[in-house]
Amino acid sequence: MNLFTQSIYSGLTSGAVYALLAMGLVIAFRTTRVVNLAHGESYAVGGLSIALLQQAGVPMLLALVAGIVLGMVFLWGMDRVLLRPRASWPVPSLILITLGLAFLTRGVLLVAAGVDPLSFPRLVAGPPLRWAGGILPRQALVLIGVSIVAAIAVAVFLGRTRFGRQLRATAEHPDAAQLMGVNVNATRAVAFLLAGGLGALAAALLVPLVPVDFQTGLGMTLRGFIAAALAGMVPGAAVFCGFILGLFEAFVTSYGGALASDPVVFVVLIVAALWRSRSIRFEGRARA
Amino acid sequence: MDMRRLLGLVVGVAVVSASGMTGSHAADPINIGMIAPTTGVMATVGQRQLATAQWWESDVNAKGGIKGRPVKLIHCNDEANPEKAVSCVRDLLARGSVLLINSSVTGPIRATMPLIRNGPVMVTPSPNVMPEASSYVFQTSPSDMDLTRTLVEYLHRSKVDSIGVIAATDASGELGVNTVRTLLPASAIRFNLARIDLRATDASIQLAQVAKSDVRLIYSTYSGGGAATVVKSFNNLGLEQPLVVSYANLSDQFIALIRNDMPQRLLGLGLKGVAPELLTDPAERERVAYFARAWQQARGEAIDQLNLNALTLVDTIEAILRNGPDTADPAAVKAWLERTPIRSFQTLRFSAQNHIGMNETHAAILEYKGGRWVPAAPVQ
Repeated sequence: MNLFTQSIYSGLTSGAVYALLAMGLVIAFRTTRVVNLAHGESYAVGGLSIALLQQAGVPMLLALVAGIVLGMVFLWGMDRVLLRPRASWPVPSLILITLGLAFLTRGVLLVAAGVDPLSFPRLVAGPPLRWAGGILPRQALVLIGVSIVAAIAVAVFLGRTRFGRQLRATAEHPDAAQLMGVNVNATRAVAFLLAGGLGALAAALLVPLVPVDFQTGLGMTLRGFIAAALAGMVPGAAVFCGFILGLFEAFVTSYGGALASDPVVFVVLIVAALWRSRSIRFEGRARA
Repeated sequence: MDMRRLLGLVVGVAVVSASGMTGSHAADPINIGMIAPTTGVMATVGQRQLATAQWWESDVNAKGGIKGRPVKLIHCNDEANPEKAVSCVRDLLARGSVLLINSSVTGPIRATMPLIRNGPVMVTPSPNVMPEASSYVFQTSPSDMDLTRTLVEYLHRSKVDSIGVIAATDASGELGVNTVRTLLPASAIRFNLARIDLRATDASIQLAQVAKSDVRLIYSTYSGGGAATVVKSFNNLGLEQPLVVSYANLSDQFIALIRNDMPQRLLGLGLKGVAPELLTDPAERERVAYFARAWQQARGEAIDQLNLNALTLVDTIEAILRNGPDTADPAAVKAWLERTPIRSFQTLRFSAQNHIGMNETHAAILEYKGGRWVPAAPVQ
């Protein structure tokens, strides 16, 4: 097996998930200016629901749809019940609320699904594909493909449609947007439904390869957030940064070892954050 | 009231109180503290062992307790976290535990050891603790070195001289790495090593690092539910070598996690009691059979390695309570354990020089076949 090729395949597989998660985080952020720390829970809710429904004998397709809908409803409900009524609160307080919800969800999932990781059968059967000395499961190929398509679709939706413009207007100035006839509440609702759907879609595609358990959510939020932060909270760039992060992690693990992975990734995040903030540090003028 | 009647009353009250106190002392439970991670990455290890200890508690109490006193198991969940494990031991001691069972993993177990420098006795099944003979800690499993010797013996029998090893980045993994680095080269076995983070969601890179063309077997020293990641990735990559999973993964819970991703040959490093046909002593076979029947009756499940690990712990505790000295004197209990063989499903022998009750003769390489673990045939 060729380690270099395998690192690319593994990196693209993880990167596809980070891209979907980052995209969802960015959409919610651009609507509310709140970094949603419960975002990864949509992954856990979706993945565990699909696994539990499938174990209960529900047909796979129905379980998949139900899991994705639950992920959507979860984030929509969070906004409707927790964030929207407190829209005038300071942003740090709202971020704390999302963190609290993440821990609460963890507890609920622990009771509902138990402590053991769960999984469900692959959506695409067949032996893995062998290219250039690397091995890629067919399920991973579907995951990468669907992530790219979903990310492009969302980027087009946000950039080229009326809703996308409404969403940006809502994020910039909700009151002004409302005066201009934008239904701010409906816009927020669609944004959170979309974000939850992307999180649960990531679970539907990855959980057959990697089990999910009640405490997976925060880890997913963290990885999605790193990609989103590297992208400066821009939807299109978030997808690119998700894949770059996945590849970077894979190569660090391959050539630097698992012990080096976290420290190196976080050092890169700090460097990227400093680089992105240079316009603040140099009084509005970016240093070349 | 005259003086004589007053004296009589006082004596009467004193006698009644004393008899009442004696009666309540006789019924006082014997508190046994148990640390087991029942949530978190090691939950699959802790839950099963706790359930076994709880079975033992009800089994003993149903038969009238020990010396007329019921046994009370007090559980504390350390989540395999060293800081929580330390708090657990403090709490269990404050609640009057006379003996301790520590079913956590290496790091948390070691973190608790300074707290019992002067007792009470603590028994643990982790193969990586390797307690010093001066301590009050007794390990009921073979050491990691002994288990690896069992693997080496199997590799020699199979004429395999090159393997891949995957180890976690935690304290247990570190010890596992030291063991293979010491033992395998000395046994003329080459190995490729890769480490994996406990929270990793994919092991395909690690497997790509170790599964070279000349590697005929892959050994994952990684314990707990997270080891399912290795098996999933192994299957994702379509690898064909036999995969050996570590000691703590010979459990039904682990098999349930990987049942959709079974390698062509799933092997495990386990105690011979897991495949009772390997036991030669009829008394040992009978102990396994009794426990298997009782467990099946109580839980409707077959027993596995984790059950048996916990059985060695509770059998040791029961032996101390039935035949050993007063637990109020930890030094006497320690000395007693060092000179008394403990009959369980395999006999444990501690000594004043060695607090590890089993060795490589107690272990075997097993294979999961037809829904149970059986002695493994050599690698083809």
